[in-house]
Amino acid sequence: MVKSKTMLRSGMRVVREAPLILRDLRSLRVCVFHPRDQDGQGLTRQLERIGCQVQAFWPPLPELPEGVDVVFMALSPDMLDADFAWCQVEDGPPVIAVIAYENPTLIEAVLRVGAIATVASPVRSFGLLSVLVLARDLHGTIRKQKKRIAQLELKLQGVRQIAEAQDILSVQHGISKEEAYHVIREQAMQKRVTAEEIARSIINANEILSLKKVKG
Amino acid sequence: MANTDPVKVGVLYSQTGATSAIESSQRLGTLLAIEEINESGGIDGREVEAVQYDPASDSNQFRNYAERLVAVDNVNVIFGCYMSSTRKAVMPVVERYNRILFYATLYEGFEFSNNIIYTGAAPNQNSVQLADFMMSTFGGRVYLVGSDYIYPYESNRIMSDLVTQRPGGSVVAQRYVPLDAGPRDFDAIVADIRDLQPDFIFSTVVGNATQHLYRAYAEAGLNPKKMPIASLTTSEVEVAQMGAQAAAGHFTAAPYFASIDTPENLRVLDRFRARFGDNVRPNACWEAAYFQVHMFANAMRAAGTDLTPVLMPQLLGAEFLAPQGRVRIEPTNHHTHLYPRIGRVNSKGDFAIVRASNNAVAPDPYLVTHSLGDWTLALEALQD
Repeated sequence: MVKSKTMLRSGMRVVREAPLILRDLRSLRVCVFHPRDQDGQGLTRQLERIGCQVQAFWPPLPELPEGVDVVFMALSPDMLDADFAWCQVEDGPPVIAVIAYENPTLIEAVLRVGAIATVASPVRSFGLLSVLVLARDLHGTIRKQKKRIAQLELKLQGVRQIAEAQDILSVQHGISKEEAYHVIREQAMQKRVTAEEIARSIINANEILSLKKVKG
Repeated sequence: MANTDPVKVGVLYSQTGATSAIESSQRLGTLLAIEEINESGGIDGREVEAVQYDPASDSNQFRNYAERLVAVDNVNVIFGCYMSSTRKAVMPVVERYNRILFYATLYEGFEFSNNIIYTGAAPNQNSVQLADFMMSTFGGRVYLVGSDYIYPYESNRIMSDLVTQRPGGSVVAQRYVPLDAGPRDFDAIVADIRDLQPDFIFSTVVGNATQHLYRAYAEAGLNPKKMPIASLTTSEVEVAQMGAQAAAGHFTAAPYFASIDTPENLRVLDRFRARFGDNVRPNACWEAAYFQVHMFANAMRAAGTDLTPVLMPQLLGAEFLAPQGRVRIEPTNHHTHLYPRIGRVNSKGDFAIVRASNNAVAPDPYLVTHSLGDWTLALEALQD
């Protein structure tokens, strides 16, 4: 029971719309790889109660069916060395492992299939919805962050290249670094390419010229 | 030789505490059904014996008494619980010992247990219908007021979702009061309602505090014809507590009202009044508490035992001609097919039914996004 508050709570709770990740549960395509036993049935039925579109298979398929949003994967001691190509795919769906053992051997297998959550076997109805939503949310966050990191790495590389190009220009033409930057920007505008590309051209050209000098 | 030992069943309804009035009605509904079963020969000649405790509207006591019912009294089946917090306290006990809990109360959904049968309404069987009726009759600006616990939070989320689906619909405010709120706890809220002038008020205040909201509303001179209170939890019991004058003109959605005019309902009401008098008012939670005991007895007759692995398959898919109509336990989610209705309190303190569904609505306890519209054909206008 929630403890009674002595004070009136005025407007402490804000009405929020259910997040998209909860609203789209009914259109979610879930692939279940689990032996067709009572536990597997319990898992499939609870996912159906939640309203997901469930496809169940055993043994696991070598390739995932088209358009799968989430994979539940039973990991038992007799399939520790099983290797599934879809686990290694860069932008595959999130994998939730269903485990009956918690020893290091099995947890190693959980890590190897790239699972981001586990469900304990025997599967209870309670808890499945939260794991499903959290795993998808986490997976989405990881995916977004990977993309962002790649963008930032590219950006950082660009900044380094511009700095290097500025150095080259200021040495070769006796101008300040600030002036060198303006030259790069103007070139980029004229040729309708990014400043980073101009910087790379300057660096490449400089490397080639230095090579000539060494040879000459 | 036939087994003639009594069939002991647990009965856990609070007779004291914040929700004592409504739970007491559930207890008497349960006892009426047990007496009816015993008067017609019991279950295959075995008398049904109620083992009762008063958990005092407190979830810890619910858990302790549930443990006791299982471990000391050795019952296989428990009837009881009203607030979700008390059901959550009993659930691990019935799951651990593989017993069955029959839960006769509307609640916020998002639960399934292999060891629970749910005979009250899920939100898709009352909230959607209430929202649609109130918005089409009074408008889409709603003021939310509730008791401070999980059921009102989730009910209000659903109501907010529904009103914002409608053009011009909005939540003008959301307020919570303690479960044991007293008369003065509603003064500021009613003043706020008067200032903000919503189209209607959605109340998820539960239990004995309910009367204070309606009385404060009446004392402030607000007009139910223009700005009524709509609720899922204000039943005949709460109306009797506040008096017909404070309740008149306000709306409630439920699968059952005592005013249902069917031979089955009238017969049950007659028997109930003859046995327990007029002090306890029959209501939706009472009706579910009543019919679920008969469904248990029928299933046990078919199973020959009350042991869960044998009894449960007989319950799943079972039908029963209840006072509200023919109900059915949905095998896939253990909830019950029920008949949504909308009632308006009249000057005598009875619910005049203004909308009713011709068909039972299937329970969908895991529905996140409810939508207006698809159920409307099922609700028929009885009077305007």
